[in-house]
Amino acid sequence: VTEIRIYSFMIKELCQQFPQGITDQVIQNDMPHLEPQQRAMAINKLLSLGQLDLLRNSAGLLYRMKDTQTASKMKGSDNQEKLVYQIIEDAGNKGIWSREIRFKSNLPLTEINKILKNLESKKLIKAVKSVAASKKKVYMLYNLQPDRSVTGGAWYSDQDFESEFVEVLNQQCFKFLQSKAEAARDSKQSPMVQRNSSFATSHEVWKYICELGISKVDLSMDDIETILNTLIYDGKVEMTVIAAKEGTVGSVDGQMKLYRGVNAIIQPTGLVKVPCGLCPVFDDCHEGGEISPSNCIYMAEWLDF
Amino acid sequence: MTAQEVRLCGLLLQEHFGDVVEKVGTHLLRNGAQHLRAIVQETGTPMDLVKKSLCVLIQHGACAFSSGRKGPGSPVEYQASFERILRILRYPRYIYTAKTLYGDTGELIIEELLQRGHMTMSSTVKTVADRLTLNMEEGHSMEYSEVSNTFSKLVETHFLQRCPPVEVAGKAVSATPDPATTPGAPANNTTPSTPESFADCYKVPHVTLIGRGKRRNSSEDGEDQRNAKRAKEDPETHGDEGIYWQVNFERFHLHFRDQAIISAVANKLDQMEFVGKSGDSGGGMYVVNLHRALANLARATLESVVQERFGSRSARIFRLLLRKRHLEQKQVEDFAMIPAKEAKDMLYTLLSENLVQLQEIPKTPDHAPSRTFYLYTVNQLPTARMLLQNCFKTVANLIERRLFETKESKRLLEKSQRIEAILASLQASGAEPEQLTEVEEMITPPEKQQLESLRHHINKLDSAENQVDETIFLLESYIKSTATATR
Repeated sequence: VTEIRIYSFMIKELCQQFPQGITDQVIQNDMPHLEPQQRAMAINKLLSLGQLDLLRNSAGLLYRMKDTQTASKMKGSDNQEKLVYQIIEDAGNKGIWSREIRFKSNLPLTEINKILKNLESKKLIKAVKSVAASKKKVYMLYNLQPDRSVTGGAWYSDQDFESEFVEVLNQQCFKFLQSKAEAARDSKQSPMVQRNSSFATSHEVWKYICELGISKVDLSMDDIETILNTLIYDGKVEMTVIAAKEGTVGSVDGQMKLYRGVNAIIQPTGLVKVPCGLCPVFDDCHEGGEISPSNCIYMAEWLDF
Repeated sequence: MTAQEVRLCGLLLQEHFGDVVEKVGTHLLRNGAQHLRAIVQETGTPMDLVKKSLCVLIQHGACAFSSGRKGPGSPVEYQASFERILRILRYPRYIYTAKTLYGDTGELIIEELLQRGHMTMSSTVKTVADRLTLNMEEGHSMEYSEVSNTFSKLVETHFLQRCPPVEVAGKAVSATPDPATTPGAPANNTTPSTPESFADCYKVPHVTLIGRGKRRNSSEDGEDQRNAKRAKEDPETHGDEGIYWQVNFERFHLHFRDQAIISAVANKLDQMEFVGKSGDSGGGMYVVNLHRALANLARATLESVVQERFGSRSARIFRLLLRKRHLEQKQVEDFAMIPAKEAKDMLYTLLSENLVQLQEIPKTPDHAPSRTFYLYTVNQLPTARMLLQNCFKTVANLIERRLFETKESKRLLEKSQRIEAILASLQASGAEPEQLTEVEEMITPPEKQQLESLRHHINKLDSAENQVDETIFLLESYIKSTATATR
């Protein structure tokens, strides 16, 4: 047994020598007299002590020195905790839901919750509320930055959708495009030239917004495009796509998106200029009823206007 | 026929032709084609009044007759046309368009023809000349030839057309059709003929019309009657007897449609969806895709309604659904960038108003709600139909309110009319200014204000009817165009 201890110590030294990890072959080369069985036992001891990491690559198994800080923290943990920790680590910055941890580890829920509480108090993992389902908590390693899909990205701060921020961006983008269209109109050139010069690329809009400095978060061109899309759904802006040479500023996959402020194609339609068109009790109204054209208060107000 | 459509037609008929015609017309609209006896029995109206009502309706093209369905020999059946009656709402727009295109002369010609239904060219010209003369300076009058000129122009541009000649049921058509008077009418006419199936539809007849408009002076009532009698006995013929003209509504509609498209394009400077390239002949033939144009105008109308009724954020959601067709709740929130709670609220409101529909797509055969996709969607055509019915109800509401307001102030209106008549007669007989002011003061200031406010109300309601009719026009054109496109 003492021999195993010595062998473990020697293997550990080797690992420290090669921080990127060592294979069985390396160990064999260094200690040729070590039999495979004894080697295995020594490695297992180090693993159970939590001092080594077992990894697999294309060549075979790899043994690596475990990070001492976490190694010391994990010393008191048992295997179950280590398993859970491993699962959470694998989930990366997207985090993992407690139910999924249960599926992957096959441990009972009570155990899982105990372990999670433990790990959290040791500041090894943290819980992040997902913006998709506000009651769902995902767990990830303590020092990781949560992925955008969890936090909601630029539009969310602490789980709250920043409507005001979005609204401000919406207005600023529209103002930018509007002034560009006006400049084009004032230039008094032919209609086709006017139209073309009233377009702005998404890159141009992005640059303008960045320079305005109204955002405390970094906004990407994609973010700006989602804002511009809402302006399209408002009927205030239209978009065309043109082919662009690779490498042109702002082009993505050989294309560029162009945006332009536009007017509505019709004035508000006749029906809505009349009280009935906007009336909340339209369906209840009929001649001779309690609500009727003859006694309609909305009409009375509108007529006296 | 929907209840709203019948209600609106009833109101229009009553205002323009009176109670009796309204009764007969509404009855026909509700019950489809009927023969004379049935109408008399079911409406409880005397036979001669029914006959007169039918005449009025036929004269205005609102009713057509055809041989009975039970085969030759069965009584003639009459059928009212809902569409034609609805056109009454659009008369002001037709008259105004004629004015912008052909001046006051054009305006009056169209107005006369709309009021009378069918008229010969010569009687139209004479009446219009008289009316124009009335408004001219003393000593001036309108030449018949000038009016005839405008009339011919209206015919050339197809705004006026000949009324199709009537075939008497059962009578054999002459073997050698006379090209001047009876252009080729087929022997067995089972399909309804349009005015344009007759070759001379737009041919101006050769009329001898020499003269000028006659000015009527002093009081109108007595003179009018005497002149009317004289006209009846007047054997003056002008060579166009039996050739009657009517307004060609479809031609006006084409004009409105073109106007709507042009203004939409002007608003956007270009709308490449409207113009498609079809073929390369002559350096590229460009085609205005009318159906697409109308669909876009209808879409803009729907969007406008949602925007005004529910606000710009709901309008954003609506436009988003129109573009992307089917979206889940979450996707709507993400694309529209509206917080989840508010987006949900707005979607449910739109859903309850039937402007937005839910499509279920089950993932599993048991249709369990937790395993089903629920997609929001907008169906443009049914939504347009629904809004059109709303328009009909709205116009009917406006007309009813106008009638109500008039009825409320009936006493006051009658008083004001009496006073005006007294004033007019006093003025004609050369009264003293003091007498005139005395009479004027019979209307107290508060009454004057009431009259003024009533006038204001009536005008507002009137113009509102026209505005809603614009919406009706766009939606109807779109629905009709879709029906023919998908056939």
